[in-house]
Amino acid sequence: MSKGTDIVYLDYAASTPVDPRVIEVMTPLFGVDGDFANPSSGHIAGRRSQGHVARAAEQLAGLLGCSERELVWTSGATESDNLAIAGAARYRADRGRHLMTMPTEHKAVADVFHALAKQGFEVSWLDPAESGVLDPAELEAAIRPDTQLVSIMHINNETGVIQDIEALGAVCRERDVLFHVDAAQSVGKLPLDLASLPVDLLSTTAHKVYGPKGIGALYVADRPGCHVEPLIYGGGQQGGRRPGTLAVPLIAGFGTAASIAMSEMRENHAHLRSLNDRLWRGIRDLEGVVRNGGEGSTFPGILNVSIADVEGESLLLALEPLCVATGSACNSTNREPSPVLRALGCSDLLAQSAIRFSFGRPTTAAEVDFAVTRYRDAVARLRGIAPGLVA
Amino acid sequence: MTSDPYSARVRELFAGSEHAGDLEKPDLRVQINEQGVRVALAADVDGDIIVHLRFRAWGCPHLLAAAEAFCRAFEGRPLSALQAFSAAEIMQTLPVPREKLGRILVLEDAVRSLGQSARVSP
Repeated sequence: MSKGTDIVYLDYAASTPVDPRVIEVMTPLFGVDGDFANPSSGHIAGRRSQGHVARAAEQLAGLLGCSERELVWTSGATESDNLAIAGAARYRADRGRHLMTMPTEHKAVADVFHALAKQGFEVSWLDPAESGVLDPAELEAAIRPDTQLVSIMHINNETGVIQDIEALGAVCRERDVLFHVDAAQSVGKLPLDLASLPVDLLSTTAHKVYGPKGIGALYVADRPGCHVEPLIYGGGQQGGRRPGTLAVPLIAGFGTAASIAMSEMRENHAHLRSLNDRLWRGIRDLEGVVRNGGEGSTFPGILNVSIADVEGESLLLALEPLCVATGSACNSTNREPSPVLRALGCSDLLAQSAIRFSFGRPTTAAEVDFAVTRYRDAVARLRGIAPGLVA
Repeated sequence: MTSDPYSARVRELFAGSEHAGDLEKPDLRVQINEQGVRVALAADVDGDIIVHLRFRAWGCPHLLAAAEAFCRAFEGRPLSALQAFSAAEIMQTLPVPREKLGRILVLEDAVRSLGQSARVSP
């Protein structure tokens, strides 16, 4: 069981707890004795608050390999995705109105494209191979003279599939098309060097990397033709790209989380790999079990499995007190089979049984062993209750 | 505050489904596969009285809970009572969300078919 709780939490791809070192940095910034002032204020208290923002920008820029000036603070990855996609599409609308993405994207990306399609933009949806990976040649073939923006996520939030953003970005750069990457799952977990990567816009959030909820960032490359129109108006903060008073404690927390992630990335990755292998070893012999996304280019923090002839909702309940996600991921009340798994060629029947296990820094081998036992027992019980297919 | 989709009653019936399984040589048996779910019911009867009920089901927790609730409620009752089994009533008492009505109606069909099969049994 997770420390001090009656649950076993294996849903770190949905959210992570705030690291105690982050809490330590944030806490003094709320009260009257701390640096609570508005960082846009010119007085000494405001300048102190601004100092925390500048420090956090340095820390996040260090993790991403970019300049502090290229960062825009947002409320999280959803806002970053919206600002990147809608903001860039509108900025470049006079050059062309064709945009491209994939059906395996998070709803924070996909729904923006659906909205833009209703506003006169044309959207092409690129299907991945069965592995979930997009072939850069497919992207190259689909780019048109009027294409202005391509958005591809780095690590898929459901399957852990990693896209080759360097190769995909190179295709876009060659054709003068802006390239946006939703990196909510990868920042702080995989090395990123935006100074050398052909990425123009990159979304991230703090709460996936042991920072607080409610703060994210958008990287906007400082290069000609790369700009975003604001989504909201009301002040000159952040160059007008995202006005509003900066949330200093959250930003400081994000900066600290980024700094910790950078220094501990290698050991965390090894830890996640060992947990992922341990869980898969424990269940891979079950009849009809499938590892969604395969064993190729996937992030070890996520293991997504389906199993034949087991009903997904009952499986999820039978797994309690394990906290895991279904194939529907962020929208667990919706039992529609995941479009991500469908795009990988998974049948609806198999997709509805999908369970996403995701691991984090605090996850222990004992918790994974508990998950193995629980999963095996639940599958056996539900299969034992199910009648045969023939009436 | 949590938004638990399952009532305490549904959780108890799902976890403690003692009527899940088979009867050896049941007097009555029926299975319906519809609406993406499967429900099988079996009964031992003594005259007009249902002595034992068992179910098998493939579906959501509400369906499994409803099947268990049915078995608990109808053992010891006359076969004629099966015709009075009501999906609407069980939807209300467990409760079951409205969007799952179709699945509970499959259970209702199975229960009523079990009663019908009794009429034609020798």
